[in-house]
Amino acid sequence: MALPLLIEGLRVRRGFRTVLHDVRLRVAAGEVCGLLGPNGAGKTTTIAAALGLLVPETGHVRLFGEDPLDASDGMRARVGLVPERDGLTDWMTAADYLQYWAVLQGRPIGPEGVTALLSEVGLDASPDLLTARCSQGMRRRLAVARALVAGPELLILDEPTNGLDPRGRRRLLGLLHRLARQRGVGVLLCTHLLGDVERVCDRIAVLAAGRTVAEGPLQDLLGRGGNRYRLRLGGSVPKMALCVDSAPVRLLHQTQGEALVELGANVAPETAWRALLFAGWPIQEVRREAGGLEALYLSLTGARAEPQPAVADVTPDGDLA
Amino acid sequence: MSPSAAIARYEGGEILASPRGLAWLLAAAAVLSSFALLLIGSTELGLLDNAQVVCGMAGLAVALGAVIAAVMGVDAMAGERERGALLPLLATAAPRRSILLGKLGGQALAWAAMVALAAPYLWAVGSTGQNLGMALLGLVLFGTPVVLAAGAGAMALGALLHSARAALVASLITLLLAASPLLLGPSLRQSALGRGFDAVNPFSGAINALDAMIVDGESLLSQGWKLTFAVAWLMVAYAAALGSLQPRAGRDLAT
Repeated sequence: MALPLLIEGLRVRRGFRTVLHDVRLRVAAGEVCGLLGPNGAGKTTTIAAALGLLVPETGHVRLFGEDPLDASDGMRARVGLVPERDGLTDWMTAADYLQYWAVLQGRPIGPEGVTALLSEVGLDASPDLLTARCSQGMRRRLAVARALVAGPELLILDEPTNGLDPRGRRRLLGLLHRLARQRGVGVLLCTHLLGDVERVCDRIAVLAAGRTVAEGPLQDLLGRGGNRYRLRLGGSVPKMALCVDSAPVRLLHQTQGEALVELGANVAPETAWRALLFAGWPIQEVRREAGGLEALYLSLTGARAEPQPAVADVTPDGDLA
Repeated sequence: MSPSAAIARYEGGEILASPRGLAWLLAAAAVLSSFALLLIGSTELGLLDNAQVVCGMAGLAVALGAVIAAVMGVDAMAGERERGALLPLLATAAPRRSILLGKLGGQALAWAAMVALAAPYLWAVGSTGQNLGMALLGLVLFGTPVVLAAGAGAMALGALLHSARAALVASLITLLLAASPLLLGPSLRQSALGRGFDAVNPFSGAINALDAMIVDGESLLSQGWKLTFAVAWLMVAYAAALGSLQPRAGRDLAT
């Protein structure tokens, strides 16, 4: 069966600027995938590409095995979307609004369906409330109900817990978990709240500056935390050193003067540093990255976690100290 | 109910039920009232005969309808995009064509409200309802394609331009350009350039057709080519709006 969402090598230009360079992402049925990244990393653009709202320069996007740009209109009903801004209509009641949306999705629902949806998101007490009078949290929950109106097989949520109180947030995360586990819905959760990700996500993808810098099962990525090292570099990395992308040393992220690498499970760090030095890497200092999702996120996105002591210094002669 | 009908009802509701929409209709009523008072109170305008007065009022209704449709068109795309409502709409199963037809349907409902609003004014300034029927027929036949073309063109601009403000300014300037031969007076309109512009300009076509039918008493059939031009413009504007909703490299439709 085709994956609800698969993105590989996505490169997107907006105007004259390339905003996505190399994004990869997969969301399987019954799985909650977290999409993380700093502001401006390209998360919303990735969502737009997934929905077929822009044409990628290269790479491919597959929604249930089909290119969303060529897919039938009906296929879009299989996707529920909770955008960052809810975009609700102020002059309609919650119940009328959901019925209107159900018609747009080609799956009209009656009052019972509306009641069930509102109950699912905890708004069953206010079906006749004008959306203009809803609180921020109620609006977010109504936006979630709108996304669920056609019984989606893939749910894409962009910052869904914004404006929710702790109880509402807990309830929404519980709902996402239930949808994935009990109904087999694939969920793509785009958020900055790492606690939410740790609570419900099975898998994560981390974007930084338009690139996927890490993608895989959350536990796998967290488990490898102790094997990530930040290297301070005294110059540029030689091209021939790209071979470190293959195991047992993987280059995760590189900025001016720094590189983040991950060592294979059985690789002795000293051996790896000697190999890199031999390949021409101007390594000046090596620091082990801390464990945990926050540290993983910060290190992958180029920000610094709490500084860790250097585990190796390199002498001017190129020896490890 | 089809998605088009649902969207049309939604868009119509926006103009008839939301405070913003009602404000527009009230503003239109104020303009029509002022013009009616001017027609009745001004010594010079009071010399106009019944048919000319009705024709002037009908022309004003078309102009107001076009302005409201342009504002609605910009709001339907650029405004919804800025409010975050366009992204979820484009992500629904509703075909782009249905979305566009629905939004045009909403503008048609607003135009119907405008015609209903203008009817008592046409009756009042025409005194005894003379020429009222012809004016309403002209409004429906010639005003509708012109108003909807303005709305569809504004939707295309709203989808293509990055901000609602830029799209609104561009739409209103386009409308002003379309109306400029009328504003510049009859001498320019008698020149070859003016006549040529009048021939292809749907706005001029509608006003000229109203003039011919109401003032000169010409038959509806004799205005067929003007109606054809107006409908052709509507088709062109619709195609442009539909094209602007297709995804393209380097352009994000919804954000």
